Amino acid sequence: MIEGRNGNARGLLGNSMNLLGALEILKRPISAAAIGRDVFLACGFTPLHLKTFLAAHLRLCFPNDRIEIKTGLYGDLAGNLERVQPSSHSAVCVVVEWADLDPRLGIRALGGWRSADIPGIVESARRQSERLTHLVRQLAENMPVCVSPPTLPLPPLFTTRGGQAHHDECQLREIAASLAASLSACRRVRLLNLQRLDEISPLGRRFDARAEITSGFPYTLEHTSRLAELLAGLIQDSPPKKGLITDLDDTLWAGILGEVGVEGIAWDMAGHAHLHGLYQQFLASLASAGVLLAVASKNDRALGEQALGRSDLLLSKDSLFPLEIHWGPKSESVRRILKEWNIAPDDVVFIDDSPMEVAEVHAAFPEMDCVVFPQGDHQAIWDLLKRLRDGFGKGLVSPEDEIRLGSIRAASTINDGLNEGGLRADDFLRHVEATITFSLGTDAHDQRAFELINKTNQFNLNGRRLSESEWLSFLKDPAAFLLTASYEDKYGLLGKIAVILGKIEGHKLHVRSWVMSCRAFSRRIEQQCLKYLFEKLDAEEIVFDYEATARNGPLQEFFAELLGGPAAPDLSVHKSGFSARVPALFHRVVEDVNV
Amino acid sequence: MSEQEDRLVRVFASVFPALKPEQIRAASAETVAEWDSLAAVTLVAVIQQEFGVEIDPLDLPELSSFEALRTHLGLTSDAGPGRDVTTNP
Repeated sequence: MIEGRNGNARGLLGNSMNLLGALEILKRPISAAAIGRDVFLACGFTPLHLKTFLAAHLRLCFPNDRIEIKTGLYGDLAGNLERVQPSSHSAVCVVVEWADLDPRLGIRALGGWRSADIPGIVESARRQSERLTHLVRQLAENMPVCVSPPTLPLPPLFTTRGGQAHHDECQLREIAASLAASLSACRRVRLLNLQRLDEISPLGRRFDARAEITSGFPYTLEHTSRLAELLAGLIQDSPPKKGLITDLDDTLWAGILGEVGVEGIAWDMAGHAHLHGLYQQFLASLASAGVLLAVASKNDRALGEQALGRSDLLLSKDSLFPLEIHWGPKSESVRRILKEWNIAPDDVVFIDDSPMEVAEVHAAFPEMDCVVFPQGDHQAIWDLLKRLRDGFGKGLVSPEDEIRLGSIRAASTINDGLNEGGLRADDFLRHVEATITFSLGTDAHDQRAFELINKTNQFNLNGRRLSESEWLSFLKDPAAFLLTASYEDKYGLLGKIAVILGKIEGHKLHVRSWVMSCRAFSRRIEQQCLKYLFEKLDAEEIVFDYEATARNGPLQEFFAELLGGPAAPDLSVHKSGFSARVPALFHRVVEDVNV
Repeated sequence: MSEQEDRLVRVFASVFPALKPEQIRAASAETVAEWDSLAAVTLVAVIQQEFGVEIDPLDLPELSSFEALRTHLGLTSDAGPGRDVTTNP
C-alpha cells in the first residue's frame, strides 16, 4: 500500500545509485542459461561510467538476463550510429551531447569561441543534427532506439551575460528541440523526457569539467546514474497497468453523497474542490487512452448513479464500468470488478480516501497498487497524477484502446447470455452475428499484434515476451507467418484480439507465440483460428511451443479440452484430430486482402 | 583492520571482480591484468564517491596499488582521510 504523498515515480525522491552499488549489482551471479540482452550505447564521449550505470540499471530491469553493453569510438557519434549492426542488438541507446553537434560546443576542442565563430557553430550544429536524425530514423526501422537529447549546460561561449539568453544560444536550443520533436514522431524511437530528467538531476550538478578534460567523460556520477536509470526504463518499456478502481465520496468528488445530496457534492473552485475536478479530468484522459475505470463506493446505488449522471461531471458515466455501489466490503467489490474486467490485480490501481478501505483492499489483493487519495493536499495530488501517468503511460493509443470498455461490456452481455439457465452455448453463439477477420502475412509494423504478444497473460501459449528486435528478426524469415484475428458481433466491436506467430515447414506449422485477449473468451475464436490455419496454409499438423505458466490457465483448459487430457511441452495437433473435436463454429470469416 | 580499510577492500572487490579476497591487499597495476587506464579511472571515481574525497589526477600514476591508495587515504586502524586528501564539502 502506498500513501498518496509518497507515491512518486521510482527514483523521483530516492537516492541515485552510486558507482560502487552499480558495480556490485553487476557482480551478482547469473544463470549460465540466461538470455543475452545486447544494447549498443552510442555516444560521442568516453562511455566510462555511463556504461557501468546503464548495465546496472538494466540488470535491475531484467534480473534474469545477461546484459551486454557495446560501445563505439570516441568523438564519432554519427559514425558509431552508421556502424551499428541492427541484427546484433536488442536496442540502441543514443546519448547526444552538444559537442556531438559541434565539437566547439564542448570544452575539449579549442576551435575558437570568438563571436565571429558562433554563427558557423550554429550552422554546423544544424547540419549535424539533421544527419543524426536521419541515422536514428534508419536504425529505428529495425530496432527500438532510445534517444537522449543534450542534457548538459551549454558552455559560456556567447557574448551575453549568463542571465541573458543570446540569439545564437536560442538557435542551438531550437536545433536540439527540433531533433527531439522530429525523432519523437518516429516509430520505435523512445525519446528521453528531459522534464523528468530535470526533476531528478539538477542542471547545475550535471557537468564534471575535470572528468571531461582528464578522461573525456562529461557527467558527474549522480547525473550519470539518473540518466542511465531513465534510459534503462526506456529500454525496458514495461507494459502499462490496465485498470483503475476509484471511490466516489471525497475522492471523485468532494462531499459525502448521503449527507449533502446530489447537488451538494462538488469538484470546482467555487466549491473549494478543484482538486477533485483535476482528478476527474485526469481519469477522463486515462479512459480516452483505453484504461478501464470502475467505481467501488459504499453508497446508496440509486443516489450514486444519479450523481454520476450529473451533466457537469468531467468524466462520462459511460466510461465507468462496472459500478459497484452498495454497502458491502470494498474487497468484494474489487473482486467482482476484476472478474468482470478479467485482468489480474497487479494490473490495477485502487484509489480511496479512506486509509481503512485501502488497507482492507490491499489485504485482499497484496499485488494491487492501493493508494490513499490525498484529499486537500495539492502537492500530493499533483504527485499522484504524475505517478498514475507513469503507471498507465503508453507510447501509442491504438484503435483497440478506444473500444476496450465497449467490448468488455459486450463480453459481459455474452457471458450473461451463456450463463442463462437452459440456453445451450450453440444456441446463443449462433445468434450473436459474429464476424472474424483474418490477416495472414508478415507485417512487422503491426504494433497491436506485437503489443498483444507482450501483454497477454491468460491465453498465452508460453508467456514468453518478444523484444522488438526479436520480433523483426523472426518476421524476416521467409518461412514465418503472422496471423491476426479481429472480431465483431452484434454486441460490439472487439478489434484485433488474437495473434499467432509461427513458421511453415511443408505441411507442418510451428507456432512460437499464440495469444488472445481475455475479452474474446467464450466465442470459440481460438478454434476458428486453428481451423483457418489448417485450411489456409494446407497444414496437416501444428506444433506448439507450449509451456504452462502460473497465469495461462485458460489456454491450458483449451488444450486439455481439445486434446482430451493435459497439455505437454511441444504438443502438436493434427488436422484429423482437430476436425473430430472442434465444436460448431458460427462465425462469418472474412480475409483481409490488404495484407 | 579498520572499517575504512574494509571499505577499500570492498571497492577493489567490485572494480576487480576476478580478484580473490586474499589477493586484494597485494593488488597493483603490475599484478592485476584488468588494471588498465579505464579501470584506474573507475577505481578512483568509486573511491572518491565512497570516501567523499577528491584525488588529484596528477597523483594517479603513484596510486597504482592497494597499498598506495590505502596510504594516500591515510587509512590506519583508526584513521580517517589523511593528509593529501581534500574532503568534499
